Amino acid sequence: MSDIYIICVEDEPQVLDVVVRDLALLEEVFPIEVANSADEARKLIKELKEEGHKIGLALCDHIMPGDKGVDLLIEMQNDPYTEATRKILLTGQAGLEETIEAVNKAKLNRYIAKPWEPQKLVEVAVDELTSYVIAQEKELLPFMAVLDQERLQEAIRTQGYL
Amino acid sequence: MAQSRPEFPRSERRPNVIGASARPVFNKATFVQDIMELMPQSDLLSRLRKDFKEGDVLLAEKNSNQTLYVILDGSVSQVKEGEDIDAKIGMQGPGDFIGLLSFQSGEPVFTTARASSNVTTLALNHADFEIFLNKYPNISKTLQGLIFSNLADRYRSVVNLHLEVALLTRELEKERNQLKKAIRELERTRNALISQEKMATLGELTAGLAHEINNPASALLRSVDYLSTNLPAMAERASALPDTGLVRYFFEAGMKREYADTAEQRARMKELAAQFPHLNRSRLRVMADMDKEVFDQIKPLAKKEQKQEMLQLLLDAFQSGVFMNGIRLSTSRIEYLVKSLKSYSRKSGKEPEIADVREGLRETLQILGNRLKDIKVTIDFPEIPAVRCFVGEMNQVWTNIIINACDAMSDKGQLFLSCGYEEAEKMIWVKIGDSGPGVPDKIKKRIFDSSFTTKTAGGEFGLGIGLAITLGIIEAHHGNIAINDRDGGGAEFYIALPAYLL
Repeated sequence: MSDIYIICVEDEPQVLDVVVRDLALLEEVFPIEVANSADEARKLIKELKEEGHKIGLALCDHIMPGDKGVDLLIEMQNDPYTEATRKILLTGQAGLEETIEAVNKAKLNRYIAKPWEPQKLVEVAVDELTSYVIAQEKELLPFMAVLDQERLQEAIRTQGYL
Repeated sequence: MAQSRPEFPRSERRPNVIGASARPVFNKATFVQDIMELMPQSDLLSRLRKDFKEGDVLLAEKNSNQTLYVILDGSVSQVKEGEDIDAKIGMQGPGDFIGLLSFQSGEPVFTTARASSNVTTLALNHADFEIFLNKYPNISKTLQGLIFSNLADRYRSVVNLHLEVALLTRELEKERNQLKKAIRELERTRNALISQEKMATLGELTAGLAHEINNPASALLRSVDYLSTNLPAMAERASALPDTGLVRYFFEAGMKREYADTAEQRARMKELAAQFPHLNRSRLRVMADMDKEVFDQIKPLAKKEQKQEMLQLLLDAFQSGVFMNGIRLSTSRIEYLVKSLKSYSRKSGKEPEIADVREGLRETLQILGNRLKDIKVTIDFPEIPAVRCFVGEMNQVWTNIIINACDAMSDKGQLFLSCGYEEAEKMIWVKIGDSGPGVPDKIKKRIFDSSFTTKTAGGEFGLGIGLAITLGIIEAHHGNIAINDRDGGGAEFYIALPAYLL
């Protein structure tokens, strides 16, 4: 069965724990996978691809050992498999230049500063996943339970007219 | 800053108050001509004629003199020897006198006279002078007149000299004030640049610190949120149990949980998902975190036929333990950061302190942790004597050098810190090396110059005066700093500071 995954890339295990916890509600529909470096994330993405899953959302820290978050997001943007993935930078600090690079080259969808408000994080994730499924999925009803119902209904109506 | 003072034409600056008389009463040319005409027929004049070759000394300063020279042809230069400088007094030509003062007064010769060309003179001693006066009364009248006007000229030039000295003094004073102003201006600019550079370093540090602190702060805040909703509910559910020992066991196990590699954890989750297909991923994830001993305790409860309340309670207990531990780790990290920052940024007092440079180096590494994520730091710090220094300034030195190394390596590579003690020189030394591209010899010479930077403008912090400031601080501490090639590639800064010995 093909699932739409959320991946979280973050080098600090304590932060990773709380991010996953905050997004737990979404996991009923969107399984969450984690990676603690860009390299780990690459392996994870490859694995999910081989297993026939999709990646709907990537939440990524910027400053990590090894490749930086922005580099990973740019890479994902250039890979057809993850091009449609909604991309969020979740970071305590990224310079202006890196952020501009992420927006221009990785088509960054959101930037969330640490520390974050839990409702805000969930809201953003719901919003981005809603955009993802509307753009990528034919059958939207299964997502009604956890995503933005209004936008989904609107999309279903529009699809109906087509 | 180097303002050019408006230059006045020299003639306007020198008010020629006392000019030489426009038309000399006694004409030198006629006088010389008369003598030259008389000479062939006069034994006396022929005898008195004395010739000098170019470079010959007529009179040497400080010697006594009995001769008055009257120049008939050629020119003679007069030089006065000062303490460490010789001053040219002027040129004398036909009709002028050499040795007039010493001849008349009997005092030692005042200025050295040297022939600047081949010179013909009339050399008169006192006896000859008398004879000359008697024999040629007409010419003698002219001679006396010329002597008088010569003396008058000298007086005039002395007065003019006084005036010129007064003028020069005034000019000098003006120039000195201008210089003072320029120096003050320079000082101000220098201070402004230094504080600008400090601000840039500070900007870089705070940006890094923001990241360093925001991470544990996020973990802390979110964990506290989770626990404050979950703990009361857990306590309620646990209170219904006859024995809460198991809840406690799982809570404590959670606190001791070790952070596993994410790939490993993923593999484990898959394994568990196959084993317990009825459990959701949140539960499986918590179970994947457990070590074997803890897992064995929960395994029977995870089976499908079991009621899920107990499983959920124990998983919540474990998860709460994990978050509790996260709080503990995050808090101590923030505490450590704040402590380092406090001691790092401690304001330097008026007096230097006795300090261990290794502490400053460690604190600096801590503060710069953000830049060092991809840099393997190797530290070799044996015991060394303390130094007497301004701690804040020394930290600025370490920061500048380490940031420089990070920049050179584009934040990827190795950093080598070591220290030692040179007993013979009573100096401690610190070496900070990197695995970057190294510094070409050509640049080594200029690296401590202010405004020398290899960083391109824009997008970079700082002004390129970081190392110049570093040098200034080290020199103020009577130490020295050098940049060398590191064995094995890269650059290496060597800093030596006087040890503080009891």
